[in-house]
Amino acid sequence: MLRMTRARAVIAAGFLTIGGMMAGMGSAAAQIDFGTLPVNPNEVTDSTAYVAAAPIQNPQGQPGIEASYSHRDGSRTVTDTILVLGSPEAASAAMGEARGQVSSQVVGTPQVAPVGSGGSIVAGTSPDGTRSIAVLTFTEGSAFTTVEFEGPANDPVPVDLVTEYGQKQAAAIRDALVAA
Amino acid sequence: MRKFTMTVAGVAMLFGSLITAQVAQAAQPSHDTVVYTQPATPKVKAFDCQGTTGNMGCGPGWFWRDGWRGWACYPC
Repeated sequence: MLRMTRARAVIAAGFLTIGGMMAGMGSAAAQIDFGTLPVNPNEVTDSTAYVAAAPIQNPQGQPGIEASYSHRDGSRTVTDTILVLGSPEAASAAMGEARGQVSSQVVGTPQVAPVGSGGSIVAGTSPDGTRSIAVLTFTEGSAFTTVEFEGPANDPVPVDLVTEYGQKQAAAIRDALVAA
Repeated sequence: MRKFTMTVAGVAMLFGSLITAQVAQAAQPSHDTVVYTQPATPKVKAFDCQGTTGNMGCGPGWFWRDGWRGWACYPC
């Protein structure tokens, strides 16, 4: 519940920015099957450790999808939210707004990530220090993506796994946008 | 004659035992050439962070658990 609240708070910041841009949204979003966009962590880890929850289409009325994956041990989650907006500029603006919220949700230092365009990872802990959290944000074309990794405080997600996941997610979005 | 025969027999028995002893002595090495060494003290190297010799092929500094990448070798 805490995770969902935090993720939605971050995304909501982006919604404020993109709200006025919806009218200019191109036809790409309408042609993409959002259900094909999220990358299952099992594909990246070559495992069967993660169980997918039912994805949320167009979260909070925005064009895109939110997919959540829970580790079988119940201690780790990966939440992948992809918003397909009207333009790369709209995606960048949404990312800027969202990052402002991330800094208040995660105690950590942002670092550049070689993922998509403007990729960044903020890895640290929740404000109360009880959970480890890493948030990856990036844009790929007109899509803005937020991926949150939450786990035990003493077992943070490896940054290389975050990067690997993000690169695979960016490639999937890129392929979908090109095909649309 | 009987006394002579007994004497010869006694001498023969004496020399016979001496000759046999020499042959037996010659068959054995005169010096022990085998070098005996003290067995080395067994050395056990702990491969993983749980103090065992490792599991599932995880090398030194790694151990097997179900983590972010599923079941795999993870750093200690």
